[in-house]
Order: sequence, then structure tokens, then C-alpha cells
Amino acid sequence: MDDIKQAILDFAEKSKKTKFYFNDMEKAVRKVMPDIKARAVKKAATALINEEKLVYFSTGSTTMYGLKGRGQTEDH
Amino acid sequence: MAFEPKEEQKELKYEELRIYSDEELNNYTDEELKNFKIKHDIPMCDELESGPWPSFVADAKREALHRRKLADGRMMIEREVVEDMLGQLEVSFEHGETHWKHGGIVGVFGYGGGVIGRYSDLQDQFPSIAHFHTMRVNQPASKFYTSDYLRSLCDLWEYRGSGLMNMHGSTGDIIFLGTFTEQLEPIFYELGHVMQQDLGGSGSNLRTPSCCIGKARCEWSCIDTQAMCYELTHFYQDELHRPAFPYKFKFKFDGCPNCCVASIARADMSYIGTWRDNIRIDQEALQAYIGGEILPNAGAHKGKDWGKFDINKEVINLCPTRCMGMEDGKLMIDDKECTRCMHCINVMPRALKPGMDTGFTILFGAKAPILEGAQMSTLTIPFMQSEPPYDNLKENVIEPLWDWWMEEGKNRERLGELIQRQGIQKLLEILGIPPMPQMVKEPRSNPYIFWKAEDVPGGFERSIDDYRTRHAR
Repeated sequence: MDDIKQAILDFAEKSKKTKFYFNDMEKAVRKVMPDIKARAVKKAATALINEEKLVYFSTGSTTMYGLKGRGQTEDH
Repeated sequence: MAFEPKEEQKELKYEELRIYSDEELNNYTDEELKNFKIKHDIPMCDELESGPWPSFVADAKREALHRRKLADGRMMIEREVVEDMLGQLEVSFEHGETHWKHGGIVGVFGYGGGVIGRYSDLQDQFPSIAHFHTMRVNQPASKFYTSDYLRSLCDLWEYRGSGLMNMHGSTGDIIFLGTFTEQLEPIFYELGHVMQQDLGGSGSNLRTPSCCIGKARCEWSCIDTQAMCYELTHFYQDELHRPAFPYKFKFKFDGCPNCCVASIARADMSYIGTWRDNIRIDQEALQAYIGGEILPNAGAHKGKDWGKFDINKEVINLCPTRCMGMEDGKLMIDDKECTRCMHCINVMPRALKPGMDTGFTILFGAKAPILEGAQMSTLTIPFMQSEPPYDNLKENVIEPLWDWWMEEGKNRERLGELIQRQGIQKLLEILGIPPMPQMVKEPRSNPYIFWKAEDVPGGFERSIDDYRTRHAR
């Protein structure tokens, strides 16, 4: 789990866009861990949300993920 | 089977939960309302009140006056929130474009759905709607609620939000319209810990499942829609609140093919109650319809004189598969040809009833987008028995389907679009279902089965020399 979390954080810090789709995050993790299942990535992402390292960004119809403090904040 | 709640249910009593007194709730007169003007000049919004239908502008003005007259400290967000909302709407009409900024990272802790951020881009002009977040409240199954529940919900929203709400959003949720970020957690706490009420789904989540009135009130319901909706809502809490799908996903449960929640048109996965045996016929009641003793359609059209009921004209000749007819004064139905259109049952409910061997049909891939064309769902599983806790459904249908969609679906691609892109054959392969002629429009002319090499003895590779021994060039 810690490996997956680190892969997610690495991607979130380096990605060109500050908000990204789950699919893109999953692909980034797969580059490091090719056999990883989507559900394992989701569990790690949820853990990072609960640790307040990642945030959800929702348009209402679609949800994206982002690194807390990077890009848009809650005041916007 | 009797309903067994997953957690102990307590009865909500408005008298214990209420925030406002009767005097506060009825704090203006009709005369005051007639003379009331909001603080902004809104001629175009006013115009909306002149049409034949009730207008949200009239409702909003009532709420604005109500808030104007509440005492200080009786609202946790600005008093003028409704007036500013109308003021900004007027400006949007003038400019021909919206002044809402939609979306954001606001939410309640641990949830990726249920709250949709919204902000005004005219905050200096309309400060009380600087934040105007939406909250989705997961409606009770079949939208059954008590007035105690509703009044408690309304008081909470008046106190911590704008007081404006939609009953109900198109997914079925109760929608709270307009509050500030700092009110989200207190509202969530009150809903969850006091009212035993969860938020609904939004974003790339399983959306709030919704069901028709089901067996609670409807004798046509072939499945207990409320039980299915309740079970799957609880079982898939993670999918409802923690988004990881490519896009939205909707379950809807209809008890019979009348499809009162329109699952066939709006759900990625539609469950529609059906039967495998024959339509039950009460020939005596049928004669009473023909003789005029019982009104057709339960008297729903009796406001106009349509003439004497004509079973041929109004039922038999309208049957889409022509599977019924009168023989020796009795109605005969060739049930294997029946497509469950429900028309005959709807017209003569005391004479015809759905069969007794009931279950549900599953269809996939409907969507009703605003910008592009709507798409109806595709019938894929003709019949499944409805047996709680629906393990067969969860393990063999829902989860393989989600795994496929999560793996192959593009960002913002609905299930129906993935089925179109990769083909229904792929869907059938994922679900382990054999193709059927009924799945294609013209099975006699459309070679709908594409064999794979492993399905054919010896595969597709053949020796041309062997062939030539039997067929001269």
C-alpha cells in the first residue's frame, strides 16, 4: 500500500496538470507497478484523501484528484 | 421477507428536532408578500411569474421575505442569499451568460461526492452568494418520507443554508441549493448523526440508486424494488462516496415494465421487474370491462366521453406483437410473443395481472445527456430471480462490468458509450452471456455472431492442399 501511495504522490507532484482523472493516476501507478489492480489504486488514493494529502475536485458530473495545496484551493 | 434495516432505525420527531417556532415559520402575511420587493431590480425574473405555470421566482420571493423577517442569529448564512441569487440571475439574463463558477474541491471529510462547489463571479455585487454550494441528500427509497422528516430537513436547511431546495433532482436526490463552505460539515453531521440520513452521489461515482414505489403500493411490481435499492446502496457505499469510475454510473429499479422511474432511459444499469410465466387473466372481470361495468384504465380518463369501451380498438389491435385475440368470447394471449408492453394490463388492471414467476430484466447503457442525444438501454439479461442479498447479481454481473468499464472506459465515457465503442459482443463476453437473436434488430440478415478461432474446432487455419484434394482449381 505504501508503494502505491508513494507512486500516486510522485505522479501528483510531477503531473503537468494540478487536477487529474483517476484513470490517469492509475496509469501512472501501472508504469511503476504493472500488475496493480484498479481497486488497489483506489484504496491507496482513498487513504491519501483521509490523510489529507490528496483532495477531490468535483465539477458535479466528474471527479478528479489533486495534491492538496497545489493549484486551486478551497477559497476559489 | 420482512424488511430488516442494516442499523437500528429511530423515529424522527419534528418536535424534538425543530429549529423554528410556528410563528417564525409563518412570519409574513399575504398582504406583505404582495407588496414585497427584493433589494435588486429584477424585471426579467418578474416576467417569469406571468406565465401559466407556477414559477420558482414566486417561491424564491416568498423565501426572501421569510428570511427578511427572521430575527438576527436565526440563520447561519447571510439573510440576503435568496435576494442576491435572484439579482445575479437577472444580471445573467442581461448578459446572456452565467455568472456561476461551477465545481471545486469543497466537500465533507472522506466523501468525494454529495457536495458540488459553486461560487459567484460577481462576489462584490452579490456577497451573500459568494459561495453557493449544492448538497445532494440521498432520498429515502421510493421517496417515502414523513412530514416530520421533511420539516426537520427544511428547518436544518433554512438554518444552515439558503432554504432553497429541489424536490427532487433528476437522479432522485433531495437537492439543497446554496450554502457556504463552513456550513458543509455541520450539515453533514446533523444529517448523518441526528437524522440517519446520508448524502447522495455526484461526480464519477455510483449515483444515488433510485427505485419506483414497488411492492409497497403497487400490485404490478414483480420485484421488491425498495429492498434491492436499499441493499445495493448499502453494499456499494464505497462506490457511492469514493469516486474512481471513469464517469457517473446509475442504478435504477423499476418494479414492472411500466418503468415509472424511467430506468430504461436514464440508468447505466436498469433493473426492470418482469415475469416468466403467463399473464393472469380473470375472464369474468374482462367481461365486466367489455360490458362497461368496470371503467378502463381504472377510470383515469373518465373526464371525457370516449364512447363505449371497445376491447378490439383499445387493447387487442394496439398489442405491439399482436399476441392476443378473442376466442369464443374469451381473451387468449400467446404469452411467448408478449414483449411486456403492459398496455393491456394498464387498461384492464382487474382482468389482467403480471404472472407469478417473477424476477427482473437487466438492461445496460442508457443515458440522458443535456447536450447530445439520449440513448436507451440495451436488454442484455432477460431474466434473473430476485433473491436477497443478490450475491449472484453482485458477483457475476455488477462487479465484472465495473472492472471492465474501469479498465477500458475513457475519461468521461459512460457505460453505454463503451458498449458502442467495443461492441455488445465484448459486453457479452465480459458477462459470460451467449448472444441471442433478440439482441439485434434484424437477426435474419445481420450476422451478429462473430466466431473466434477458439470457438471453432481446429481454429481458422486450414491446409489449402487438403482443400484442393477435394476442390479442383
